[in-house]
Amino acid sequence: MNELGSLQFPLAGAARAAPVVVARNVDHAFDTGAARKQVLFDVDFTLERGEFVILTGPSGAGKTTLMTLIGALRSLQSGSIRVLDTELAGLRAAGQREIRRRIGFIFQDHNLFDALTSFQTLSLAMEVSGRRPPRSEVRRRAVSLLAMLGMEAYLDSKPRQMSTGQKQRIAIARALINEPPIIIADEPTASLDAETASLVIKLLRQLVEIGGASILMVTHDNRIFSAADRVMNMIDGRIAAPL
Amino acid sequence: MLPRIGLGLRLLLHNRLRLLIASASVAMGVVIVFVELGLLLGMLDAQALIANLVRGDLLIMNMARVNLHRWDKIDLVRLEQAAAVPGVARVTPLYEDHVGLRNPADKRVRRIILYAFPPDDIPFKLDNPAAISHALKISHGFLYDRLSRPIFGQFGVGDDIQIDTVPLRVDGYVSIGADIVNDGNILMSEGDWLARLPDSKPIMGLVHVKPGASVEAVRQRILQSLPPDVTVLTPEETAWRETLYTLRTAPVGLLFAIGMLAGLVIGTINCYQVLYNEITDHLRQFATLKAMGFSNHFLRRIIMGQAMVLSVAGFSTGLVFAWLADRYIAGQSMLPIGVGPASGVIVGCFTVLMCMTAGLIAIRRVAVADPAALY
Repeated sequence: MNELGSLQFPLAGAARAAPVVVARNVDHAFDTGAARKQVLFDVDFTLERGEFVILTGPSGAGKTTLMTLIGALRSLQSGSIRVLDTELAGLRAAGQREIRRRIGFIFQDHNLFDALTSFQTLSLAMEVSGRRPPRSEVRRRAVSLLAMLGMEAYLDSKPRQMSTGQKQRIAIARALINEPPIIIADEPTASLDAETASLVIKLLRQLVEIGGASILMVTHDNRIFSAADRVMNMIDGRIAAPL
Repeated sequence: MLPRIGLGLRLLLHNRLRLLIASASVAMGVVIVFVELGLLLGMLDAQALIANLVRGDLLIMNMARVNLHRWDKIDLVRLEQAAAVPGVARVTPLYEDHVGLRNPADKRVRRIILYAFPPDDIPFKLDNPAAISHALKISHGFLYDRLSRPIFGQFGVGDDIQIDTVPLRVDGYVSIGADIVNDGNILMSEGDWLARLPDSKPIMGLVHVKPGASVEAVRQRILQSLPPDVTVLTPEETAWRETLYTLRTAPVGLLFAIGMLAGLVIGTINCYQVLYNEITDHLRQFATLKAMGFSNHFLRRIIMGQAMVLSVAGFSTGLVFAWLADRYIAGQSMLPIGVGPASGVIVGCFTVLMCMTAGLIAIRRVAVADPAALY
């Protein structure tokens, strides 16, 4: 067992040859007619295997739109995005769902069910493949992951028994429990104190270095820029330049 | 679609007060359906009460008497002709009329049904027929139905009660029951009745066939032998005819059906409202599940699981309230109203149907949960 506990990320040790995300000539607009507002202009972007990329920039720059397109959370209008060797252009709902199952999403809000304990939350997340894993397996992986996040004492706790930062760590565990090769995170440390933010970033870094995971993170928190392999700046719908 | 009942229950149980209110709101529909169904079944039972109570293999009645609340009598000669048909052991005449019984307390005269028959051949399935037979042989006596509505007042055995201005002695009690039209019954001997009204005709004849004879064959022989102004039915056929008449011809069947439908609609709307609020409150959580790759189908299973939980909780709560309501109504109306296993199964199925329908409507809401909106 390595520093990632019992987690086995599928791309661990894989060669860095093939990128996990390749976006080319991506345009995107909201609304139509006079209300049409283009938010992405001819965006090219690549995320290599085992790479940690931070996307930053002012509000309204198109970071979130790009992230939701890469995450197959909305349909592509123009251009091409290949995620894990699957072209997203023209992909139907079922195909988008399959891609999303291979991505760990971390949102700014934890969005946990108040009624579920941490264990139940992680158990539910593990059902995404369509099968219910044995309780012992869920417990083993949940305990291991929560221990890495300093949350093992909260395995059977419900969100109301936790602080905002603790809830966010459970949400992070939910995103990681299925050992996704890609992690897409939106301001994951916004609700965390400096110490916990550091713990989370350290874990994400380990996922990249040991687990071979690729991370695309949107953040304005310059404390964590140093953890990334690349920091991309996005302005007015275009990737301006690496910082 | 297999509902995720465990997960649905877990989500609902989190807010117990809310679950209690949700159960009560679903139970409101359940109680309405239960009470309406109980009233309908109770009324149908009451309307067919006499048909189910008579002792006899076949009933001969006037052809015009298409339901038991019509007063078309049959000529006594028809019963005598039927008695002469091969295979018939005997035919018991049953007289029925309404008379005025004076309440000894408030002195008001109210209509009550009187049945008269030969005391040695009790036409009803009643307890202790020997005592009834003996009591009816006492001159000027009558037996009072203790299940009559209380409007007739209280009186004891041996009291003289005025029936159509003639004082008659109460010689005992029987248990028959009221129905929607009639408030109560008294029994009298054929001799006493004919002494008062010599020209009275029976309302029906109860045919007893000889041991070993085929009831159907005897019926056919009676129909062939007698003029076509009579109808011959078994008691079961008479009861079923009465039920169908009440359902089809009388508007009550429709009225109760509308009442039940109203209960179902109310329950469905209430259940939908509960589920809609549940989904709205958890829209971001559902959107997160969709972002993770869960299908709309999976989310629907959670909602249907919650609908199933609400149906069980609503039914259980409704059953208790319906039982109390039926007891109260039965006590007031003296009708055989109650929650039986059959009505329990029927209402249980209706409740599941009601909540599943609400769930199917509510799950449209979950489809709009947009995972892209989470960023």
